[in-house]
Amino acid sequence: MSQGPPPPLRVTDLTVRFAGLVALDAVSLTVEPGSIHALIGPNGAGKSTCFNVLSGVCRPASGSVRLGERELTRLAPHRIAALGVARTFQNIVTTEGTVADNLMLGRHGLSRAGFAATALRLPHAVREQRAHRERARAFAGLTGLGALFDTPVGLLSYGDRKRVELARALCLEPRLLLLDEPVAGMNGAERERMAGVVRTVRAELGLSVLLVEHDMGLVMRLADEVTVLDFGRRIAGGAPADVRTDPEVVRVYLGSPAAPAAPAAPAVSAPSGAGAVERPGDASARARGAAAPAPGTERGDSA
Amino acid sequence: MSERVPRTGPRAVLPYAAAVVLLCALPLYLEAYWLRIGLFAMAAAIGAIGLNLLSGGTGQLSLGHAFFLAVGAYGYAWLAGEPGPGLPAPLALVLAVCLAGVAGGLFSPVSGRVRGVYLGVATLALVFLGHHVMLNAEAVTGGYNGRAVAPFTLLGFSFTSADPELSVLGVPFGAEERLWYLGLALLGLAWFTARNILRGRPGRALAAVRDSEVAAAVLGVPVARYRSAAFVVSSMYAGLSGALIALAFRRIVPDYFGLTLSIDYLAMIVLGGLGSVAGAVAGAAFVTALPLVLTRYADVLPLVDEPGAGGQGVGPTEAARYLYGAAIVLVLRYAPGGLVGLVRRTPAPGRRAAPAASAPADDGAPANAASPSVRPSHPKESSS
Repeated sequence: MSQGPPPPLRVTDLTVRFAGLVALDAVSLTVEPGSIHALIGPNGAGKSTCFNVLSGVCRPASGSVRLGERELTRLAPHRIAALGVARTFQNIVTTEGTVADNLMLGRHGLSRAGFAATALRLPHAVREQRAHRERARAFAGLTGLGALFDTPVGLLSYGDRKRVELARALCLEPRLLLLDEPVAGMNGAERERMAGVVRTVRAELGLSVLLVEHDMGLVMRLADEVTVLDFGRRIAGGAPADVRTDPEVVRVYLGSPAAPAAPAAPAVSAPSGAGAVERPGDASARARGAAAPAPGTERGDSA
Repeated sequence: MSERVPRTGPRAVLPYAAAVVLLCALPLYLEAYWLRIGLFAMAAAIGAIGLNLLSGGTGQLSLGHAFFLAVGAYGYAWLAGEPGPGLPAPLALVLAVCLAGVAGGLFSPVSGRVRGVYLGVATLALVFLGHHVMLNAEAVTGGYNGRAVAPFTLLGFSFTSADPELSVLGVPFGAEERLWYLGLALLGLAWFTARNILRGRPGRALAAVRDSEVAAAVLGVPVARYRSAAFVVSSMYAGLSGALIALAFRRIVPDYFGLTLSIDYLAMIVLGGLGSVAGAVAGAAFVTALPLVLTRYADVLPLVDEPGAGGQGVGPTEAARYLYGAAIVLVLRYAPGGLVGLVRRTPAPGRRAAPAASAPADDGAPANAASPSVRPSHPKESSS
């Protein structure tokens, strides 16, 4: 499955509405082949919604997502996965069973053994599954799970389960890897280890990575390019060093006592007139009307 | 998907071999009454394995299992019998299983889209539809009084009391003895295939659909297709089970295939342990045998009357329902893993613990080698 450089991912004017509420408003970004691209922003900025569109879980109202020449927005999730887009989840989603079972699930689209062949243990199905198991074992080794390959996932630590998700995504042989908060909830050592794994994976497998992360230090060290979202809009983008000093980003993350309501107004009032509608599916959705006048107080916490 | 035995060493096979030898020897010692109980239990076990694939394996609820049992039973009776095409019995059996699968497939527009409890409600309709058809399609089903079932014949060997006369070690082999081995073979087949499915690629996909549909889809599993495939496969097991039930009863009537039968099968898999093949078999044996055993000992048991005695106590069938109703409550409260979970939780150093503990050790994970065998193998509430 080792082909040339991964195709670029081009997101153009992506808009997602949930019952009159704009979760993503004409967002554009490009993930260059082989790069690590970070998507950041305060809670409720639309990062996870963006991931859901990219992986086909959620349909956009308008806009396009192209992986190379293929348009992804009309495809079912399993078709997008077959094109080489794999993702992890913010909250760990593993199935019952061992690490091997979970990683083998990642091989689903790449293997063929159906009900009849599996039920009767036909030789070709057994052979196929054995080969895929070895490949899955290789990915377990790459992510540091080699010794835990046959351990039930339920017995693993939080950090290990996060890495199971990463390894399972790698098992799809992706060309674009979407990581949704890969180090959330980890301690310092685990974070560094995860960052190392992501770097290794990118270097060895030559894939592109798009990641959502709140740990700014990690994002600045890891990413080649950063896109900043706030209230569904792209407010800044570019190299990490440039983004860090962008006044709009500083305002969003730290709040700006010098310019309270006026600059915030266009970004906040644009989405809809329904002030306090909560964003469906987003546990941390803020009541917009309340957040708007005092961005400084509430956003300081999330940064 | 709970008990993982990646390879089968001699130690893992030994208990199975012992069980098979024991089961094969039983017809030499048991009288026909007990063999009939065993036969019903084996037939039910095949159906329960199928339902467990759907409910335990995929997280879908079905109350329509009785319908697919009926399709298998009447399908076999019609295909092999008179009136009907009168096909050779093995062919009729295979076709009856396929017929049940087709019936399950016809339901796939619903089973692929509707999930969980809602599917349970949708399948409820099948039971009533099936009952209506059974009562009215008299040419095929014989209507209210049902129809006789042609005996099974394999290569000129008839599974009845004669033709040819047969006695083994001085024990005359009648229909029960012969059907016992047929049931055993079919149960073995069902066990083998269901275990392979659950542990293989399709089983992993089904478990993923059960645990998180979004994650399954993102990982490349076509969710709707697998949901309906699980329903079809489950229906095929039900069809096989139904055909065997028909053979054991020798006469089938519509009233047997009612809603209570569907609920009995749900009780079996809950009692035995969701998602486990062995659990389905254990649950089926318990639920099927209990009323028959109570009937047998109705005269000596307190509070239980003999059937038709009209005394103060309850009939054996009702008593069995009370008992397994209570058993379900106890299992749900104290042993959510079912009977199989109970066995596995006991940290006996015997054969149950051996395969689970040796598996990780082989792959160099000594730190975790001991833990899987002692922990109850429940879904951890970590996801979602």
